[in-house]
Amino acid sequence: MTALLTLTHVQKSFGTHHVLQDLSFSIPTGSIFGFVGENGAGKTTTMRLLLGLEKSEHGSILLAGQEVTFGGNRTNSITGYLPDVPAFYDYMTATEYLTLCARLTRIANREQRIAEMLNLVGLKTKKQRIHGFSRGMKQRLGIAQALLNEPQLLICDEPTSALDPLGRNEFLELLATLRGKVTVLFSTHILSDVERICDYVGILHAGRMQKCAPLSDLRNQYGRSRIMLTFPDTPTAKRCMQVLAHFPAYAVKNTVMIDYQGSYTNAAHQVLQTLTASVTPIALQHKCPTLEQIFLEVTGNAHSDNHV
Amino acid sequence: MRILTIMFEKELVETWRTYRFLTLITFFLILALMSPLVAKLTPTIIKLSLNDTLNLQLPQPTAFDSWKQFYKGITQLGILVTAILFAGTMSQELSKNTLVNLVTKGLPRWTIVLSKYFSLLLQWTVALSLSLFVTWGYTAYYFPAKITPTAVLAGFLPLLLFGIFLLALILFGSTLGQNNYGGLLIPLFITVILYLINLVKQLHNYNPLSLIGDNLAILQGTKPLSQLLPGMLVAIAASLFLLGGTVVLLNHRKI
Amino acid sequence: MNNHWQLLMTNLPLFIPLVLLEVGLMLAALIHALRHSHYRFGNRVFWIVVILFIQIVGPLTYFVFGRGEN
Repeated sequence: MTALLTLTHVQKSFGTHHVLQDLSFSIPTGSIFGFVGENGAGKTTTMRLLLGLEKSEHGSILLAGQEVTFGGNRTNSITGYLPDVPAFYDYMTATEYLTLCARLTRIANREQRIAEMLNLVGLKTKKQRIHGFSRGMKQRLGIAQALLNEPQLLICDEPTSALDPLGRNEFLELLATLRGKVTVLFSTHILSDVERICDYVGILHAGRMQKCAPLSDLRNQYGRSRIMLTFPDTPTAKRCMQVLAHFPAYAVKNTVMIDYQGSYTNAAHQVLQTLTASVTPIALQHKCPTLEQIFLEVTGNAHSDNHV
Repeated sequence: MRILTIMFEKELVETWRTYRFLTLITFFLILALMSPLVAKLTPTIIKLSLNDTLNLQLPQPTAFDSWKQFYKGITQLGILVTAILFAGTMSQELSKNTLVNLVTKGLPRWTIVLSKYFSLLLQWTVALSLSLFVTWGYTAYYFPAKITPTAVLAGFLPLLLFGIFLLALILFGSTLGQNNYGGLLIPLFITVILYLINLVKQLHNYNPLSLIGDNLAILQGTKPLSQLLPGMLVAIAASLFLLGGTVVLLNHRKI
Repeated sequence: MNNHWQLLMTNLPLFIPLVLLEVGLMLAALIHALRHSHYRFGNRVFWIVVILFIQIVGPLTYFVFGRGEN
C-alpha cells in the first residue's frame, strides 16, 4: 500500500518543552488510522502541523507528494479538519456556514453538495442559527464542513470525547462508512473506539511514535491472551494458585488470570486437567488482548527504555 | 479578489446580525440630531439655570454652534463608541477559534485582515455621511446662514479620512491584543501619545489628530484645508503601515 | 409655560426622530434581552432595568457589553 502521508524526523517544541522529539510515521492510503496517546502527548500538535497551523523545527511532512509548510495552503485542498471543539459563526445557519466554506473552496454544484452533506450527517435544521445548536449538532456540522471539499485525508481531533455514548456510536458508524473512500486520521484516548473501527494504530508517547502498525499485527505481537477463572471466594482462588504453581498465573480477589501463548484450546485443556483433582471454578472465560493492554505495555516499555 | 469579496460579504452579514452596524448608525444619528438641538437650547438652558436675574443678553446661536456640537460629539463620543464596537473584530475570532475551519480550507490570512478593514471603512463612511447630512439639513433649516456646501464638505473630509487611520489602528490593536480589550487599549495608548506630540506646535499639521481638531476652523474658513495635507498623508501612510503590521501579526498568530 | 410649549413645538422636527431612535433602540435591546437568556455578565432583571431607565446609553451598553454570544 502506498502512503498518503509521511512524516520524517519531525521535531516541535514549545519553549523548553519538547512535544515531538523525533516523529516519523506514515499513513497508508485508504486506511482508518487511530492516533493514540495520553493527554498532552502531542496528538493535537501533530495534527496542527499536518494542516500548516504550526511550524516544525526539523523534519519534513509529505502529504500526497507535496510538502506541508507553515502558513502554506497548497495541501489544504486535500485535507479536511474537524477540530476537537469546532467553532462556527453563531449568527449563521448550518446551510449558510457550509455555503461560505463551499464558496471559499470553489466547490461546483454548491447547493447539491451541501444538501448531500447535511443529509449525510443528519442535520435537518433549515432556519435554526448555530448559536442554538447542541454539542452533538455542532460535531455533525463539523464533520459536514470537514468533508465538504471531498478531502483525501480527513483529520479528526478527539472527535468522540465530548459526545454521549449514543452520539459516539453514531459518529463511529459515520466514520466507518467512509472506509475506502477517504483516508481518516483520528486521535483519541478512548481505546475502545480505535478497536471498533481502525485498521491502523499509531501509539504516540514521549514525543515519538512508539508503535505504528495494523491493529491485527499489534495484537499478535503484544497482546497477551488470558484465561480467567472465577471462584466462589478468595480462599478458593488462593488454593487454585497453589495448584497452578507452574503456570504464569496471578490472583485478583476471587479470580485467577492465566497468561498463555499459542492456541486457546490447548491452554484451556491443560489448565482444566491440572485443576480437576482439587478446585472447581464457577466460570471460565477467554480474555482477548485489548488495545489498552497493548498500549500500557508499549508505553511502559518506553518508560523503561528511557531510564536505561 | 474573489475570496476577498466572499469574506467581505461575511463581514457585512456579521456586523448586521450582531447588531453592531445598527448600534453604530443609531448612535451616530442621535449625535447628529443632538447637535442642532443642543446649539439651539443652550442659551435657554443657561438662562434657566441662572434664573434670569441678571437679564443677560446672550448671543443668538448660529449655524457654527450647531456644527461645533457635531464635531465635538463625533470626535469624542462617536470615536469612542466606534472603538468599543469594533475592538473585538479580530480578537473575538482568535479567542473563539472561528478562523480555524476557514484557514485550514486554504483561506489566505491577509484576506481576513483586508476584508475586515474594508467592512469597517464602509460602516464608518455610511454612518458618518448619514449623520453629516442629518446635521446639515437641520442646521440649514434652523440657522439660516450662508455656509457653502464646499465649506461644509471641506470641514468634513479630514474627519472622514481620520477613519482610515482610526480603523487601521483598531484592527491592529484587536489582532495584537490577547483579549477583547487590546482593540481598545492600543488605540487609546496611541491617541495619548499623539496628544502629547500635539503639544509641540510645529508638528500640529503633521499630526493625524489635526484631522479631528481643526474641522470647525476649516468650515469657518479660518484655516485652509490644504494646511492639513501633511496630516492626511501621515494618517494614510500610518494606516498602510498598520495594515501591513496587522497582516504580519496574524501570519504569526496561533489560530 | 407658554414659552416651554413654544420651545417644544418649534423643535418638534428634532424631537420626533430623536424620540423614535431612542425608543427604537430601547425596544430592540429589550426584545433581544428577553429572547436570549445568556449575557456576558449580569442577569435579565439587571439588563431590563438598565435598558429601560438609562436613556440611550443603557441599550447601547447592552448591545456592546451585555449581549451574550450563545
